[in-house]
Amino acid sequence: MSDREQTGRSIGRLVGRVESVLRDSALPQGAGVVGAVGQPAERLLWPVAERYNRTLGERFGEVTGLQLLLLLLSFGGLVTAPLWGQDYLRPLTLGAVWAVFAMGWDIQSGYTGYISFGHSALSGAAGYTTGLLVLHLNPELSLFVTVPLSILATTVLGLAIAVPSLRLRGPYFSLVTFVTVLLFYRLTKALSHWTNGLRGIRVDVFTYDLTLQYYMVVVPMLAVAATLTYVGRSDVGTVLVAIRENEDAVSAAGVDPTKFKLWSFVLSAVPMGIGGVLLAHVNAGVDPQTFVIVDNSIQMIAMAVIGGMSSILGPLGGAFLFVGLRDVFLVGLGEELRWLALWLLVLLVLVFARDGLFRLLWRALGALGGDRR
Amino acid sequence: MTLLSVDGLAKQFGGLVAVDDLSFGVESGEILGLIGPNGSGKTTVFNCIMSIYAVTSGTVRFGGTDITDDKTHQIVNRGLSRVSQESNPIGSMTVRENIELFTFPNSVRSFDGGASDEAIASYAARVDIEDALDDDPGSLPHADVRRLEIAKALATEPDLLLLDEPFAGLNQTEVRQLSEQFESFREQGITMVVVDHNMRGLMDLVDRVVVLHNGQKLAAGDPADIVGDERVQDAYLAGEVSAVQ
Amino acid sequence: MLGDIASVIVDGALISAVYALIAIGFTMVFGVGGVLNLAHGALIMAGAYTYLSLVSDSILASVTLHPIVAFPLTIVVVGLISYGLYVVLVRTIEENVVITFLATIVVAIAFTELVTLVFHAQPYQYSVVPGVLQVQALGTRILYVELAAFVVSWVAMGLLWYYVTKTDSGRSIRATSTSERGAMLTGVDVSGVRARTWLVAGGLAGIAGVFLGGIGAAEPTMWLEPLALAFIIVVVGGIGSIKGSVAAAYIVGYLQTATGQFLGQSVRGIMSLVVLVVVLLVLPQGLYGTEFVHE
Repeated sequence: MSDREQTGRSIGRLVGRVESVLRDSALPQGAGVVGAVGQPAERLLWPVAERYNRTLGERFGEVTGLQLLLLLLSFGGLVTAPLWGQDYLRPLTLGAVWAVFAMGWDIQSGYTGYISFGHSALSGAAGYTTGLLVLHLNPELSLFVTVPLSILATTVLGLAIAVPSLRLRGPYFSLVTFVTVLLFYRLTKALSHWTNGLRGIRVDVFTYDLTLQYYMVVVPMLAVAATLTYVGRSDVGTVLVAIRENEDAVSAAGVDPTKFKLWSFVLSAVPMGIGGVLLAHVNAGVDPQTFVIVDNSIQMIAMAVIGGMSSILGPLGGAFLFVGLRDVFLVGLGEELRWLALWLLVLLVLVFARDGLFRLLWRALGALGGDRR
Repeated sequence: MTLLSVDGLAKQFGGLVAVDDLSFGVESGEILGLIGPNGSGKTTVFNCIMSIYAVTSGTVRFGGTDITDDKTHQIVNRGLSRVSQESNPIGSMTVRENIELFTFPNSVRSFDGGASDEAIASYAARVDIEDALDDDPGSLPHADVRRLEIAKALATEPDLLLLDEPFAGLNQTEVRQLSEQFESFREQGITMVVVDHNMRGLMDLVDRVVVLHNGQKLAAGDPADIVGDERVQDAYLAGEVSAVQ
Repeated sequence: MLGDIASVIVDGALISAVYALIAIGFTMVFGVGGVLNLAHGALIMAGAYTYLSLVSDSILASVTLHPIVAFPLTIVVVGLISYGLYVVLVRTIEENVVITFLATIVVAIAFTELVTLVFHAQPYQYSVVPGVLQVQALGTRILYVELAAFVVSWVAMGLLWYYVTKTDSGRSIRATSTSERGAMLTGVDVSGVRARTWLVAGGLAGIAGVFLGGIGAAEPTMWLEPLALAFIIVVVGGIGSIKGSVAAAYIVGYLQTATGQFLGQSVRGIMSLVVLVVVLLVLPQGLYGTEFVHE
């Protein structure tokens, strides 16, 4: 073996060791330090959690006391954001829109393992449907018309991608979705007499009241989160995960994987449609750069990865974290350095914490309270 | 009554003939042994029956219905289930969840449609793994992983079970236990086809034997007659020799 | 019209050779480790910018090398980047296909930002081999750089062919991509083979990058198009097949050149996407894909 290979190998081994140390130490040591606070808190909260588990837990998954506390705090924080975060309403609103995208991506790609790079085309379909309707049909068109039509168009596009490509396994599927984005992008240019090319189409904002706008985005986001969490924890979610783990076993169980993969696309396309419409109105317009380009798909993927794929709420948290870093905390770094830092973070999560940061947090909270499973 | 009938089945991979004009039937309530040396096409026959492979020619009928062009999940829902040679439980799910998956209806609108915990426990009990229901499949010993595979197949409520090398890697006691369990499945009304390359272990269990050699039917009949059949012995000897070379 | 056809024939032949080079590296990496390296386009970009930095006095003022020196140096640098990418990142996660897939696309996009940070977003034009060859008889003209790209690409493919068929080191790459278990049983160090394949694929991407940047320009988004092309070519040719990649590169290359010439540059890329979809639906194994035989 050459020296170079040997060096390479020892680097690889070092990375492996760091990884295992991180994995082993994170929970027990953390538990030692925080345990003094965590365990009494868990005892205090457990009766509440138990009541939740007996009622809603059946549908949404059981929790420990501390996990429930995290959920309640996050929910409370989101609902009361205009009271404490007036200065951050814009990033919070965008975070909520991207959370819808990340969850939409997750129910299809994260769950089934069929990685889609095409979700920016789906959100683009919704944005452009709204934009084209407003531009060419009637600028005064009611949201009650544009929103359902945009979601419908997204679902149609989703199925148009899914039906031919889901016969293909893994990488081939990803390729087709990737190509769909390139095609969509080229079409926005080629049809620029309709779409105004790179300039895009102007769309009215919902409202100039930022607080109201925030709620107009957060409420649908919470509805998507609740619905997808419910679906993810149901038999449907189990089958989708089983498709990822072993598609042949799903067939052997008498369940049609193709049907479920298509269904996952529908489940995904509807939130993508909702998110696309929201983004068009929040951004006051739709253009290829903010909707279609493949970078946007990769951002959705990054959010899901950071939060923890195939958990719905993980990608939700990942979206807020990502947008927070992108639009608030790392802005001082300047355009390129900020992105570089973000992508490095995603890489680190992929290598060292592939289950995602929020899933790690969730497990740590569970372990802290003495996980009952 | 003939439950499964295979007629003129052929399967080619490129130019390679894996199964050639094979016909046999399985009577309701019997245990049929499908034996043959390594590479004789036994697993390919199962894969063709289950539509894992598209057949090159021939038909497969189950309960009188042509299932040749059905998809795997449709065949399973008709009451035919296969336990494959490789164990492939889903590692991120418990034993219970692995079995439950096999009880799900094929419906995207079913959010809570799997079997009850009692039903799942009863499938597990039929192969003696009811104590391992909450374990991860990865932590089970080899024999229990094999039993889990059988429990999963049972959970689809089959009329006919295709068992691919069910005894591989098991010790004497485990083989005896499993044979007894197969007998009890029969009493519960399940017909079985058992594939094995080793005929001796199978002789006490099966009612009838079909011998495959190079993808063709070499002999069929009573186990005792087959053991004495010279052509069968030659085939096995040739198989062993070519396997060594 | 005749001139148009002649220029399609010539241009198609020239550019397809570079496409083939890109696709071969991509498919080799997939062949030995099952990794679809979405950072392959980024390696091409690395080739363009490395060469640019070495020859141009406007980037690194202290370094201005003659193209004859800069070109091989670029190949080595990109090869090493590719090797490092495998050893440091991919090797630690390659057992999980999805994670690896995602990590390589993140690397590609992070690399875009790095390039933008260092070189800014504007395109750089540089010349590899200046000059234009007028072919009076055909009524067409050929850039010398295209000609050089064609020649160098074919020389590289020839050397590669020699490497994988005549040398032990190269043969072990082929053995591993045919049957990993078989290779392991005959004592091939599979991990070493993979690292070596990444090195070679990186070198090929480096060559392609120098020429693609020379024909067009070096810019931070230049990785996307070649990556999509590599993907399409490899699917059309049959994934894992070098022969198929070359054939498919010519099909796709000619198709692109012809649509660009006769239907306009804006639909140039769309035709190859249509072919891709047709191939995927009609011939999922590609032209030279191996049918998977079980048992």
